[in-house]
Amino acid sequence: MTQPFNGSLLRPDFVPGEPVERHFSDVELVWTDDEQKQIATFRSQYPTNDGAVMKVLWLAQNKFSWLPPEVVQFVADTIEVPYAKVYGVATFYTQYYKEKKGTYVLDVCTCFGCQVCGGYDILHYLEDKLGISKGETTADGLFTIQEVECLGACGSAPMLQVTNGPYVHNLTKEKVDALIDDLKEGKMPAFESVTLPQDETDLGGNRRSDTELVTEYQTPPVSETLH
Amino acid sequence: MNVIIDGQSFEFEPGDLLLQFCLDRGIEIPHFCYHPALSVPANCRQCLVQAGLPARDRATGDLVRDENGKPVVNYFPKPQTSCSLELSDGMVVHTQYDSEEVAAMQADNLELMLINHPLDCPICDQAGECPLQIQAYKYGPEGSRFEFEKVHKPKRVQLGPNVVLDAERCINCTRCTRFTTEVSKSHQLSIIGRGDTNYPMTAPGQVFDDPYSMNVCDICPVGALTEDYFRFKARVWEMSSTPSVSDFGGKGINVDYWVRDNHILRIIPRENLSVNEYWMPDAARLVYERYNENRPQGPTLAGNASDWEAAYDEVANILKAANGKVVFLGSAYATVEDNYLLMKLAEAVGADAPQYISRIQVGSGDNWLISDDPAPNTQGCERLGMNPLDPVLLKAKLAGGEIDVLYVLEEDPIAAGVLSADDLLGIKVILHHYHTTNETLAHADVALPAAMCVETIGTYVNETGRAQRLRPAKMIRSMNRSLMMEAGVGQSRTDRHGTPFDRWYNEDHQIDCQPGWEVLPAIAERLGAPMSYKSPAAIMAEVAEANPAFSGATHKAMDLLGVALQDIGEPV
Repeated sequence: MTQPFNGSLLRPDFVPGEPVERHFSDVELVWTDDEQKQIATFRSQYPTNDGAVMKVLWLAQNKFSWLPPEVVQFVADTIEVPYAKVYGVATFYTQYYKEKKGTYVLDVCTCFGCQVCGGYDILHYLEDKLGISKGETTADGLFTIQEVECLGACGSAPMLQVTNGPYVHNLTKEKVDALIDDLKEGKMPAFESVTLPQDETDLGGNRRSDTELVTEYQTPPVSETLH
Repeated sequence: MNVIIDGQSFEFEPGDLLLQFCLDRGIEIPHFCYHPALSVPANCRQCLVQAGLPARDRATGDLVRDENGKPVVNYFPKPQTSCSLELSDGMVVHTQYDSEEVAAMQADNLELMLINHPLDCPICDQAGECPLQIQAYKYGPEGSRFEFEKVHKPKRVQLGPNVVLDAERCINCTRCTRFTTEVSKSHQLSIIGRGDTNYPMTAPGQVFDDPYSMNVCDICPVGALTEDYFRFKARVWEMSSTPSVSDFGGKGINVDYWVRDNHILRIIPRENLSVNEYWMPDAARLVYERYNENRPQGPTLAGNASDWEAAYDEVANILKAANGKVVFLGSAYATVEDNYLLMKLAEAVGADAPQYISRIQVGSGDNWLISDDPAPNTQGCERLGMNPLDPVLLKAKLAGGEIDVLYVLEEDPIAAGVLSADDLLGIKVILHHYHTTNETLAHADVALPAAMCVETIGTYVNETGRAQRLRPAKMIRSMNRSLMMEAGVGQSRTDRHGTPFDRWYNEDHQIDCQPGWEVLPAIAERLGAPMSYKSPAAIMAEVAEANPAFSGATHKAMDLLGVALQDIGEPV
């Protein structure tokens, strides 16, 4: 099957030299004293400022909730790294949000492991439930759904990640419903550690000591739509 | 220390990298991202080779040998990128010439690279000189197994005033971004995005206006970055290229002039590590039109068209009648040869030695390839013993009636601001000029169209004292033995000059002008002071012999890379 022709790919997001839309004013683009200290620490951790780019971008994303061009430039100016270079880094990582997202970004994994265990079932269920397609944000600005590649938790497939943060494992439709209800109340899921089969068989019930919520490995389901 | 490449032993210096070592010895290994002037990222993966080191006994350190007495080689488990592989003693290398496995890996890599490359070579400006095209033919697979629609990316993106991007053609070698980071240091380009949708781009709101931006088009190994002024102008196989020197400023930038039908269509830098390395500023390329546009056709006498013989006669008559009351102006745009002949002519008519108009403006350059001096041969004039013109003194002389004739070689004293039209009232003016826009032309009694640097043979001396040779890139209208010999006309030619589009086939756009070394002897002969030189090379040989400031600067010695002349110290 050939992919549909996507005309929008033929245009860059901006034309070089033409002004781009701003979302934050210069008054908003300032660091607090604490943040400045933090940035100074980041810079001191690396031999050149280039090393601090990712950490300062992350700090900026947490502060401004996303990274429009003026924020990327603000970061570049702050740590004295060329703007184009910082922009290149920001666009490389999908975890840096170049568009405004919902409060909760639901990254549903549909890579091989989750796919056979029902990753697409979960994705489509979420889309139907929230009334949006992947890549879109709900009208209330609360949820964004994204389809992502492997997040490295195939043992507890299908799974999703909430806003670059906690994973939600062993997804079922009921679990998705509960998650959405919790998030609407502002309750983020807690960190959950899932064991592996060998933890039980060979490693004598190997458990992480730094977390309360430990779930035992269970055989993942098979996708409803898989034939 | 030795390395064995494809069974042949070579000596190397510690620190040598395999790919450059091979290229220096004529062993071609396909590559895209590697460029000798840039860092080595090894990201295109095209220059893969198999390499290994001889096995040594751990206890004794002796070479381990097999039953036939041959040293056993421990090959690295994976192929190595030769661009980043530092040679070490005894290393054994198998390239694609020696190993089918390596050839297959390189073919696979090219297949991978071509998955999303558009293969629009028939309409691509790079076709014909495209490393991807050439290497895909030589080392690539016969076809592709990826029969899907290709990924689409932005096309015709005007990155800046001079560079256009076609992101679909990009193979993400990062040569352009490394150029802006490491060489021009404008930091204006970066690879954005990831996976199969990434491409080089400016940051949002910024423009790629680096004064050296078009160098990225030269080093781009595909047609992704093209020069705006040259897009869709000509196919490379319709043009001929001539190695010569730019007349843009005092740096003496080595260039190739690309010509079709006697029009200069493109100027690109030519490698000379002693002068411009691999680079040139955009401004030096964008002057290409001045060799084609506003050129005069044939001599004029007081504005009326004439022929060369009549013009020479008239010049001779004027000079005879002047009785030595002549001021000769040499030129920092004319070659050493022409200025030298002008000095001899001045001597023959009993005038003062020629002076030249200095155009140096301290601080106008960029301390790299844009010089403080917009003229190419100021050093040549200095070394010939010419002094910069004092305009005040000249004006006084002209006003005082001490001068009857002003003889100007390839200059424009009015446009240069050293004279005004009023100063020339009552003065006979003889002018060698490049353009019909020459502001002194209106006041010339005899105007002699002069061959520009792209049409003549000669020598420029750059501001560091390097003598470099000009070669004729396009033909002038008159038949000239020296120019034709230099260009290879009438000799058996290689197929480089064998197309119906090449520069000599077509007589269109030829300029009816003459090089100084044709005109000046013709005039001198009429004055009874013959200068008999077989060729410009003979003139330069005489200069190099007689003047220590040009010692060693024969045409033969200068060849393609020039000769560094002895330091003569700061001009006084």
